[in-house]
Amino acid sequence: MLAPTAPSGLRADSGHAAGLRHLLVVPTAVWTLAFFVLPLGLVTVFSFGTENLITFNVSFGWTASNYAAFGSALYLSTLLRSVALSLGTTAACAFLGFPLAFFISSQRPRVQRLLLAGVIVPFWTSFLVRTYSWVNLLQIDGPADRVAHGLTGHHLQILYSPRSIAVGMVYSYLPLMVLPIYVALERISPDLYAAAADLGARPWRQFRRVVFPLARPGLIAGVIIVGVPAMGEYVIPEILGGGKTLMVGNIIVGQYLDVGDYPFGSALAVSLMVILMIMLFALRRVQPAVEAS
Amino acid sequence: MSLRRHPVAGALALVVVGFLWIPILAVAVNSINQSSLMVSWGGATVHWYSLALHDPNVRTGLTTTIEIALGSTLVSLVIAVSGALWWRRAPARARAVYDAMVYARIILPEVVFATALFFLFLKARFPLGILAIIVGHSVWNSAYAAVIIQARLVGLDPAIEEAAADLGATPWRAFRRVTFAALLPAIIAGGLLTFTFSFDDVVTSYFLGGNSATPLPLVLFGMIRFRITPEINAIGVMVMLFTVTLMGVAVAASTLVGSVGRGRRDALAELYGQ
Repeated sequence: MLAPTAPSGLRADSGHAAGLRHLLVVPTAVWTLAFFVLPLGLVTVFSFGTENLITFNVSFGWTASNYAAFGSALYLSTLLRSVALSLGTTAACAFLGFPLAFFISSQRPRVQRLLLAGVIVPFWTSFLVRTYSWVNLLQIDGPADRVAHGLTGHHLQILYSPRSIAVGMVYSYLPLMVLPIYVALERISPDLYAAAADLGARPWRQFRRVVFPLARPGLIAGVIIVGVPAMGEYVIPEILGGGKTLMVGNIIVGQYLDVGDYPFGSALAVSLMVILMIMLFALRRVQPAVEAS
Repeated sequence: MSLRRHPVAGALALVVVGFLWIPILAVAVNSINQSSLMVSWGGATVHWYSLALHDPNVRTGLTTTIEIALGSTLVSLVIAVSGALWWRRAPARARAVYDAMVYARIILPEVVFATALFFLFLKARFPLGILAIIVGHSVWNSAYAAVIIQARLVGLDPAIEEAAADLGATPWRAFRRVTFAALLPAIIAGGLLTFTFSFDDVVTSYFLGGNSATPLPLVLFGMIRFRITPEINAIGVMVMLFTVTLMGVAVAASTLVGSVGRGRRDALAELYGQ
């Protein structure tokens, strides 16, 4: 979905030049196999091993005991919280991002560029500093709390809870949702809107019958590029969760760097990959079904 | 009424852009705020800037970060450019595998990838540090660069390269004057994007840095976790100014080079003349 397709008009190579040309694949093949496929394979294998916590020696007995730990309420609730936060973040980004992308795409080119810069430039600021900024904004007596207190008479007690993590995640991932939707919308000819309006379609119907179907590939790209990495988020819960509210990413890091239980950390990482593959597969199934209807 | 001029979409859009900028304004304000608790305004000061500039951890962190970002950008571009050139004429099935690998490197949660590579390096006794971070960053950065460079390559009409060959250009010359010239804006854009991603990375660096390499984001992460530090707002503002300048230069450069490249593509007569 992200990678463009190759043009079809290229001649197939033959002979000597083709042999040399095939060498071009070597850097990417070596790098991907050695530093991406191999480590992920290794982690998968080790997730079925056992570790002696005194000597740190890992041995294989093909045990599933590392996965049995999911039965414990702590890990299961963390995993469910991660799924919920990821889905919620994705949905919120889509609801906020779609109107914004639509608004940008319907402006004059100069205004479009300005608004796109307005979306992208915050993204260039240090991610850590932006996330930390939410601690200031959401704390008791901070700006958001004062507004809430003035309006409702209640304090805004969301810092260091799943809700503040959600705010930070929506904030960080939003540009990743806006851009692919914008790219899809920008390709729609303005004549289509005019045609729909001339034919008597009211705004909601124009949206449903013209805009949404054409923007759907961009929306699905946005859902994937937000939802999948969000599942494994580590830094945002670390800062905005105050070390109390955790996601599965925090537990994986803890198992690796603090506890040193590599097989269990690996089992968590593999489970995360499996959940994500299921989600991606489900999205693939959704797409043709929607198109057929 | 036209949907494209609907006032609800406009109002919502402005609120969302505001949402994106509020934390940045807060960072800028707090970077000159005397009140160290950052709850209220306590008068203006440059104290946090001077603290940040004289902090030895920040200084060495910055040097480390720049070394890592330059190294990983270079490696990523070599991988992405050679890969994209191969991809263009590869058989469909091989191309599908390549695309899947690019895609996987972009969307796999960084925590999963970083733990896996950490584990491999541990088992292979590969020393953690700057080199390990460069390898780690270039795995996902090369995928981002690949997407940008491929998008540009798709827009390049092969007839132009064939015309260059027909007009007597050697393969190397045709590559240099046509293919590479057309790709240059994408290479610049991809290089800058990878540089900033590397510059900002926490998770991969956290795993692969070991005790020997602490890039700036890890210095900031340490500060954030252990105390309230207005100093990081000052660092944030300086990093932002640096990145925005870099990106501004990049956009200007790629537009400039892009127009030159397009000129080359259109002006076959120029090729003919040489």
